[in-house]
Amino acid sequence: MLRLFSSIAIGLCACFGAAQAQDVKITDNLPEAVIDLNGTTVTISRIQDTENLLTGDFAKTSRPCPPFCIHPMTIADGVETVGELEVIDFLSTKVAAGSGLLIDSRVPDFFVRGAIPGAINVPFTTLEASNPYRTDIIKALGAVEVGGGLDFTNALNLMLYCNGPWCDQSPRAIRGLLEAGYPAEKLFYYRGGVQDWVMLGLTTVTPSNDG
Amino acid sequence: MIRTVLGFFIAALTICIVIILAPFSSDVEPATIDVTRNETGNVTAPVAAPIGSTGTLAPGVAEAIAPAPGVAGQAAARILAASRAGQEPELKIQTDTSSIGDTTAGVLAALGLATGAAPAPTPAELGGDEMMNMTASVLSGIRGATGQPAAAAPQQNDLQTLVAWALKEGQSDSYIDALLNEAASAGQITVPNMLVTSDGRVDTATLLASIVQEATAATTGQRAAVPTTPLGPSDGVEVRVVQRAGETEQFRFYTVGSGDSLGSISVKFYGSVEYYPRIFEANRTILSSPDRIQTGQRLVIPELG
Repeated sequence: MLRLFSSIAIGLCACFGAAQAQDVKITDNLPEAVIDLNGTTVTISRIQDTENLLTGDFAKTSRPCPPFCIHPMTIADGVETVGELEVIDFLSTKVAAGSGLLIDSRVPDFFVRGAIPGAINVPFTTLEASNPYRTDIIKALGAVEVGGGLDFTNALNLMLYCNGPWCDQSPRAIRGLLEAGYPAEKLFYYRGGVQDWVMLGLTTVTPSNDG
Repeated sequence: MIRTVLGFFIAALTICIVIILAPFSSDVEPATIDVTRNETGNVTAPVAAPIGSTGTLAPGVAEAIAPAPGVAGQAAARILAASRAGQEPELKIQTDTSSIGDTTAGVLAALGLATGAAPAPTPAELGGDEMMNMTASVLSGIRGATGQPAAAAPQQNDLQTLVAWALKEGQSDSYIDALLNEAASAGQITVPNMLVTSDGRVDTATLLASIVQEATAATTGQRAAVPTTPLGPSDGVEVRVVQRAGETEQFRFYTVGSGDSLGSISVKFYGSVEYYPRIFEANRTILSSPDRIQTGQRLVIPELG
């Protein structure tokens, strides 16, 4: 009987202790990431409720393939595939310094329902050859028109993601960029996408679609 | 199952198109906009609905449209403030070498009319207009994130923004003239150099006439013809016949009057502003730049060969 009480007491203590300190960190040394992006502060942390379960779209295990097929780890030669920590690192180094952009390549409808903080929406359709204005976007990303072609020397590093490893919107966006001449070494593919991001309880934002 | 998911996807796509188009379409009722005016500014005929799309983007046009204008200059500043970060004003009309065709096409595109001047976009799963709007929204997103000012020909678009707005508001030609001149002298817009008159003003009449011409061409497919009325001495025109090496050549000279621009002279002789470079080239000895014409100058008017 005494043992039971003491174990309950210890359990309670453990609970309170956990509630005070951040229990669900990103990594051992990184409880949360606070990043200053062009004057706005972005905080990325994880849901602290260890009982939390996903509901809705991202709780689904199975989607019809095609079109929602599982993508390989490497999407194109020279395009690096990254995980969550690299996304956070990319935001706090490249994006914060103005030398990179985190691109949500999904159609705007998905983007407004929840995106990775700091990402901007460039729907994959606008990066495909069927968009007659694609060059305008490529130039806004830092390519410079030289003679008849484009010079990508000062073009931004781009990290692209979409709904998850089963989503082909960022692979298509990457293929569109490569086709337009974007150098593969400036492109990064976050294969996990929003699926893996929310699976880990990482912060999402619902940006207003001010376009 | 596939059908259900596809159905949802199509529904999502439709919703996103509606979301994107909503802010753009609210102000634009192409079928009701009168851009067809004659030289005196009277509305002659409304123009029809859009046909397709042009390759010239006019980002920020729709969001820059402001209701109920006050004084011309204030309106200009307010309209441009939306799409432009502060730039140092200069007390001189800034010109660029953009073709008036681009300006005209941009204005008409902003009004929902296609001129067919640019290659027609290939319709994908989304139409060309959706692509243009989507691209404009992407561009503003990128600029917002990178903090870069609107690159690539913002001035040209500013002129388009002002003219499109004024036409939509149904402003008179004289109002548009005042608006453009104030904006130009405040350094808020640059104008194509052939639209600067001998008095150093913006040749609004020629610009508007050119827009009308393009709108007419876009809706009826008819191009303006070279004016057939012979120009006489009362118009400042003088014809000289020169005999050289057995050949008889006829030269036309034109004395620049107050308010003339190279564009307006091109319209006078050739029926369109497009030929102004011919006049400029023929008069390189006295004109350093198309915007430097002065009252009293005697220009050679070449025959169109």
